[in-house]
Amino acid sequence: MDNPSRIILHIDMNSYFASVEQQANPFLRGKPIGITGKNQERSVVATASIEAKALGVKTAMSTWEAKKICPSIMFWSGDPEKYSDIMHRFNTIYESFTPHVEPFSVDESFLDITEEAEDYFGATCMAQAIRSRLHEELGERITASIGIAPNNLMAKLASGHVKPNGLTVVRPEDCLKLLDDSELDDLCGIGPRIKERLHAMGISNFKQLREFPRENLEHEFHSYGTWLHEAAWAGVRSPVVGFSEYKGVSQSSKPTTGDLTPDAKSYGHSYTLPENTSDACVLKRYLFGLADKVGWRMRRDNVTARRVTAFVRFGDFSSHGEQRTFHEPTADGMQLFHMAWRILEPICLVDVRLIGLSASLLSHGSTQPSLFKKERNMTSVLSALDELQKRYGSGVWKRGATLQTEFKSRSSGFHFDHEV
Amino acid sequence: MHEILNDPIDVTVAFKDNRVLPRAMRWNEREYKIDQVNLVHTAREGTKRVFYFSVSDAANYFKLKLDPEFLEWRLVELYTDG
Repeated sequence: MDNPSRIILHIDMNSYFASVEQQANPFLRGKPIGITGKNQERSVVATASIEAKALGVKTAMSTWEAKKICPSIMFWSGDPEKYSDIMHRFNTIYESFTPHVEPFSVDESFLDITEEAEDYFGATCMAQAIRSRLHEELGERITASIGIAPNNLMAKLASGHVKPNGLTVVRPEDCLKLLDDSELDDLCGIGPRIKERLHAMGISNFKQLREFPRENLEHEFHSYGTWLHEAAWAGVRSPVVGFSEYKGVSQSSKPTTGDLTPDAKSYGHSYTLPENTSDACVLKRYLFGLADKVGWRMRRDNVTARRVTAFVRFGDFSSHGEQRTFHEPTADGMQLFHMAWRILEPICLVDVRLIGLSASLLSHGSTQPSLFKKERNMTSVLSALDELQKRYGSGVWKRGATLQTEFKSRSSGFHFDHEV
Repeated sequence: MHEILNDPIDVTVAFKDNRVLPRAMRWNEREYKIDQVNLVHTAREGTKRVFYFSVSDAANYFKLKLDPEFLEWRLVELYTDG
């Protein structure tokens, strides 16, 4: 049985990116805003403000759809460095209350406060104290919903119960009631597809899921069926782990806003083009730039890759992607680019909306020095460029091939002598 | 109106409670009194850490960047309501 005396706090920042922007800029407060990528017209809403959510705008909605639902919405380009810095600050606040802090995503953390709080009254006081510190140190607009429960899964469900700025306490004896008041897909780990499959099996709520024979769930879902059964009992009958623990997601591989990911399984970048294109030169230019970014991140983390996956999305939102494997692992952007382009070149690249690549089959450590002088020279050039980038930041160097070429009409005497 | 800029500016600051608080700035030959420091955050530029101050007066939001290596202030963002 799960340790019944555990007390877990789940803290989820409300409309995080939008709230940070509203804290920074008081003229955005009280307005429906959506945080997007740089190219707002072709982007999605990464976070909608509380005001925009109230008007029906949802996270991951395309900007044109959001504008249709809420014509007054104002789009604001996101600032990942700002969100990352604030994330470190609120996690530092949490660490002043307990050393057992587990960041779950950029705006959520679990805190095991069993020893520090002693009981649920102490936990509630601690939650209020954390809320005061957030208000004092980050500002009044950056608010959080807090759930207190005997395990991660229930604490996360509890924090989602009252939004924004809620505080929900679920004692062990109240867990089943909380589940029975929730939809199946409110629980972290049950998505819309699983919900559909459960519906098809005649299960539409947690009471039915609890009563459904465990063996039948395991037959349908294998080990995930066991997890579903235990989750439906809220970990009351036997230990239940959070979905991330069940899936074996290590802390280091969880999403961050740009920090090192030493245990990452792949490195990738994709880019939605400013406008759809069929121009191979433009596509090559973007792909080369992305490959260089991937290569730099791998060299920074002392990692090499043996596989490249290249992919495109077309104007009709269909996509195509393939992968190839290198004989020797590499972290050189040029080699990644050449392989990725060999994958994409044979495809009919018409009306391309997005292009990207990722490198996988990673191994730690650098490659063996090449026997060929030209390749050894390239390696030393790359390490010199990496030093520059470490010192002065990204964007300090670019390959000439990735720069946009602007052809100007050349005149000779009184006449233009050629057309471009 | 929202503008992304990178203009050098003069800033008057107060050092209070172990914090740096911009009080006024001069940009485009005009003086702006800063009413509110809404948010301060940092970002890395290579090995260097720079500071951003999100401040406002009654009509404008300004994002100011302080480069601690050169002690240089720049106005990097301006938003005027309406």
